Amino acid sequence: MVGVTRGDRLLRLVASDRPRFLLGVLLLAVAVFALTTPDFATLYNLFNMTQYGVEIGLLALGETLVIISGGGSIDLSVGSILSLSGVVLGLLTMQAHINVWVSALLGVLAGGALGALNAVLITVVGIPALIVTLGTLYAYASAALVLTNTVPISGLPAGFFVLGQRHVLGIPLQVVVVFLPVALLLHYLLRHTVFGRALYSVGTNEVAARFAAIDVRAVRFWVFTVSGLLAGLASAVMTSRVASARPDAGMGYELQAITVAVLGGTSIMGGEGTVLGTILGVLVITVLSNGLQLAGVHPIWQLGTVGLVLVVTVLVNQWLLRHRVGVL
Amino acid sequence: MPALLLEGARVPVSRLRSRGASLLRSREASVAAFTVALGVSLHVATGRFFSLENLTNVLLDSATTAIVALGMTLVILTGGIDVSVGSMLGVVSVAVGYATAAHWRLVPVSLAGIATGLLLGGLNGALVAYGGIMPIIATLGTLSILRALTFQLLRARWISDLPPTLQPLGLGTLLHVPVATWVALALAAGVVYLTTYRPMGRHIYAVGGNAEAARLAGIDLTRVTLLVYAITGALVGIAALVYVGQTGIVQSNTGAGFELQVIAAVVLGGTSILGGRGSPLGSVLGALLVAEMKNGLILLNISGLAEGMVTGALILLAVGADLLRRRGRW
Repeated sequence: MVGVTRGDRLLRLVASDRPRFLLGVLLLAVAVFALTTPDFATLYNLFNMTQYGVEIGLLALGETLVIISGGGSIDLSVGSILSLSGVVLGLLTMQAHINVWVSALLGVLAGGALGALNAVLITVVGIPALIVTLGTLYAYASAALVLTNTVPISGLPAGFFVLGQRHVLGIPLQVVVVFLPVALLLHYLLRHTVFGRALYSVGTNEVAARFAAIDVRAVRFWVFTVSGLLAGLASAVMTSRVASARPDAGMGYELQAITVAVLGGTSIMGGEGTVLGTILGVLVITVLSNGLQLAGVHPIWQLGTVGLVLVVTVLVNQWLLRHRVGVL
Repeated sequence: MPALLLEGARVPVSRLRSRGASLLRSREASVAAFTVALGVSLHVATGRFFSLENLTNVLLDSATTAIVALGMTLVILTGGIDVSVGSMLGVVSVAVGYATAAHWRLVPVSLAGIATGLLLGGLNGALVAYGGIMPIIATLGTLSILRALTFQLLRARWISDLPPTLQPLGLGTLLHVPVATWVALALAAGVVYLTTYRPMGRHIYAVGGNAEAARLAGIDLTRVTLLVYAITGALVGIAALVYVGQTGIVQSNTGAGFELQVIAAVVLGGTSILGGRGSPLGSVLGALLVAEMKNGLILLNISGLAEGMVTGALILLAVGADLLRRRGRW
């Protein structure tokens, strides 16, 4: 260890842990936008922008759980589940005249059921997750289009819009009553329960987990079901925020959700990933798109930024680990 | 075929029979059988499937998917994946569109398209091979970046009213078969030759089977990785030429969702998503099956909105049945 300076050690501290690295990126981004963009560092803006991270954040949390479970687990169908759950919510309210909050609950449960269907095909029939969710990505999206004949469902009772359009103490309501509780619950689930430990162990070494009497299939079943439930929840929030249920609402969201989960340090090989990391991933993406928007960068580049941040973050992180800090 | 027979002539009858059986049992054979059976059922139901016009439509529709599926097969064989091909198709189509609009001739336009694709594919390859980024992550990144680039290059407009430079490639026919299909077949022959008879082709399978073992056997992983992504890029370039020739229009969402269609074709064709197992020919058949199914919906007057349900069910049925069958045999 010749010539290890304090700077090297700091670098090592930051590069060796993705959430810490992301926190650095986040602070840097906030500092740059605060100095260059006048409207960015207002309390209103900082609080208000979080509402745009809720839906993608919920999907990314589900994706985090799924990817941690390893064995090539991934859920490509979350965007389509979001669309279809929203359609269920809309149709139950407008056609079956069920109370909108009951419909919302049923919509969330429908998301869970769609996730469970994925789970059965993966764990019982034994088809690889990538293929199952590729198939259901098509099937669920198409079902949403057929059920609505592509027409968005609007005219929902105004009382329902509270969830996605109100603030408490300047903070969007959906952040307080949906995202934070869900994130805390999942954090607790992963860190302090038998299920959480089983999940990491299944993802790290499936065979070892089986020898330790962990029901690998049950663990995988639940992560895909929870992923579906969270997509249903994201759908309720989105329907309330935009005041209508669009049958293509979740199109393309699956890739963004995976991007955020991976950005947050979830290893695509399984066994690694945290709720905190994924939340930091959502924050980085949200701050960047908001800051760029305020800075007058054309909105089309917000999508590009997500990709750029993903590639550059992982690349820099890898490079730091390999060349500056040596083998850890 | 002759090579197989010649080789077969030197082995005992019992092994010959098992080879014949394994050919029948192969995934290509079951996909081909399924494709024919679906075609016959559609013809019986509508009386229109096996008309020259309809078959031409199916072939035209399957060409771009088949061309890119060849490259995707190589990538998936190494254990990787490339989800950026749809966005790549968008960027290359813009380049090809502008070049065509500027009255470039067929050859320079084609070279420009292929070079652009090669460059973008090479970028993916470099990120994976030199950057050490997992394939799904690297190509998820370039998926978003290249889509944004497509928007940027088009500046919220679209390219249309193109001179007919690429039309012969996109819509022309030769001996009653679309030129695009001939192109796909020629490329398929090339890729099959590569995977079956060239050392590099065998290296691709070896890397996907067991990367560490392949490295210890002296295979240059970096080179193999770079190559498969670059080939895929070049094939996307060719597909973009066909696409622009067929549609005559380039929009900011050109190619959106194309990646999933290509992956579906490869998976339907029997290539294992885990790498090391599969064949380019199967993927071509998979692309044909996807196009046939879309065509069937039109013939049966089923709403195009239901297409996803049928595609999805088809993927799950094909792969599920294959899995259950294999499990039963073992």
